[in-house]
Amino acid sequence: MEEDDRCSSSNPGGIGQEEEDEDGKVLRFLDSLDTYLTLLDSLSSTLRQGWFEVASARHSMGSSRISSVLLDQKVQSAATTFQVRKSIHGSPSESCPSFAISKWASSRDGKCSFGELEVSHVRKTSKNSELRHRGSSNFYDTTEEHDLTINASSSISDSNVHQERSKSLSVFGTLVSPRLRAAQVSFETALDAIVEIANIRSSMLSAFTQLQQQMKEKDLS
Amino acid sequence: MYGFEALTFNIHGGYLEAIVRGHRSGLLTASDYNNLCQCETLDDIKMHLSATEYGPYLQNEPSPLHTTTVVEKCTLKLVDEYKHMLCQATEPLSTFLEYITYGYMIDNVVLIVTGTLHERDVQELLEKCHPLGMFDSIATLAVAQNMRELYRLVLVDTPLAPYFSECITSEDLDDMNIEIMRNTLYKAYLEDFYNFCQKLGGATSEIMSDLLAFEADRRAVNITINSIGTELTRDDRRKLYSNFGLLYPYGHEELAISEDIDQVRAVMEKYPPYQSIFAKISYGESQMLDKAFYEEEVKRLCLAFEQQFHYAVFFAYMRLREQEIRNLMWISECVAQNQKSRIHDSVVFIF
Repeated sequence: MEEDDRCSSSNPGGIGQEEEDEDGKVLRFLDSLDTYLTLLDSLSSTLRQGWFEVASARHSMGSSRISSVLLDQKVQSAATTFQVRKSIHGSPSESCPSFAISKWASSRDGKCSFGELEVSHVRKTSKNSELRHRGSSNFYDTTEEHDLTINASSSISDSNVHQERSKSLSVFGTLVSPRLRAAQVSFETALDAIVEIANIRSSMLSAFTQLQQQMKEKDLS
Repeated sequence: MYGFEALTFNIHGGYLEAIVRGHRSGLLTASDYNNLCQCETLDDIKMHLSATEYGPYLQNEPSPLHTTTVVEKCTLKLVDEYKHMLCQATEPLSTFLEYITYGYMIDNVVLIVTGTLHERDVQELLEKCHPLGMFDSIATLAVAQNMRELYRLVLVDTPLAPYFSECITSEDLDDMNIEIMRNTLYKAYLEDFYNFCQKLGGATSEIMSDLLAFEADRRAVNITINSIGTELTRDDRRKLYSNFGLLYPYGHEELAISEDIDQVRAVMEKYPPYQSIFAKISYGESQMLDKAFYEEEVKRLCLAFEQQFHYAVFFAYMRLREQEIRNLMWISECVAQNQKSRIHDSVVFIF
């Protein structure tokens, strides 16, 4: 106790700063947790809305027009891809994988340009990052040279997005009910929310790990 | 001669008219729907339906039930009743009853062609076809590469052959062409059915003209709303509208250039029978439009039963059963998705 008093009297700001730092981490963790739970709830209601809209569309257009049997089984390029960036620099406690989604990518003449949309603000904890692409289908033609151009600042225009949306819905016909289009938007929103949840969870787990480590160090000291 | 059907109708049509009126009394009532709307699970729905005419069709279905199973089994009942009436019917009632199924045939053709375009298995597609629209060579549709082949290989020997004259091209089948083909076929079918009913004359002609005109007008509105924001040009849209109905021709001209739901409303409100439909929905909204149209259709179909000695009762019964199956599908979906508060968004009571 006396030692603590001597330490605090000799370095009162240091201990206070540590406590503030710890409090800050706890607050960050709790904030992340709150955002995570809110996003989960929002995702649940968005998915419910989407499935309800699909049921409404099926009621309007008929069961035979909206059915899984009409989904396209041809090999085609992915309309949406998912990227994972994992930090390989520094300690595991500082690693914070981040996730991003590229929606409605269009391919022209074997080249693809992505309109990369960062769903949430990603905390970049390291300078080196490993980019890993996961496409949902066979995107690359081995006989053609493929050239991926990732332009982080470009965005696909609204008309292109509208065109891509219509193209993906065309499996059910060209003249579909507005409810089916609304369902598509709902599921798209849900996909954005899932990526955001993944990012928040990643940062939450990272904050928790840092906090745990700090508390261990504090106990040891 | 109109007015004298009572003298001769019962000779050939009396038995079947009595049968269809008996079937009509088996339609679900408001109290049945109230019970169904309070169900918590699909098994509860099955239990309530076991006390209705659908009971024998659902009793052997294992749990857990799926909404598509409920729809399939209820449709089987409609198919059995239709086949019984068809095999008992003589001309011209038998032709009239066959006309009712051509719409399902068109849907099945489009389903097979679209599924084949998407490299789906033919057997899988055949299982999803409506039973009332099946014909012998339907599986052969999968080999056709364009509409000319579709017609030459398969459809030339089916009742849909006359409707293909406006569709025959050598263009490859793609999603847009298939959609245009679907709507063009249906337009030709409705016009042919309308002309056939006009030739029958009497009460059949009068009542069926009203019902088919309403169907044509509703199709025109749906085509307009569904094509807003798509690649379908105004001319192509105009070509898909039927050449009869209350909206023909001036309403069609205005609908063809409509770009949003409010413009569609402005066109339709000029026609008194449709003012009441659009009065039920608010500006900019199209969600409740389907329900408003279904309610109006049910009202007209029920009125068909107020008169005797005509064939429109058969058409009306088939459509009322379809509406009932739609209601059951909707209730099942809302129960399965735990959205019971939304059940009354789309259920249309028949009685």
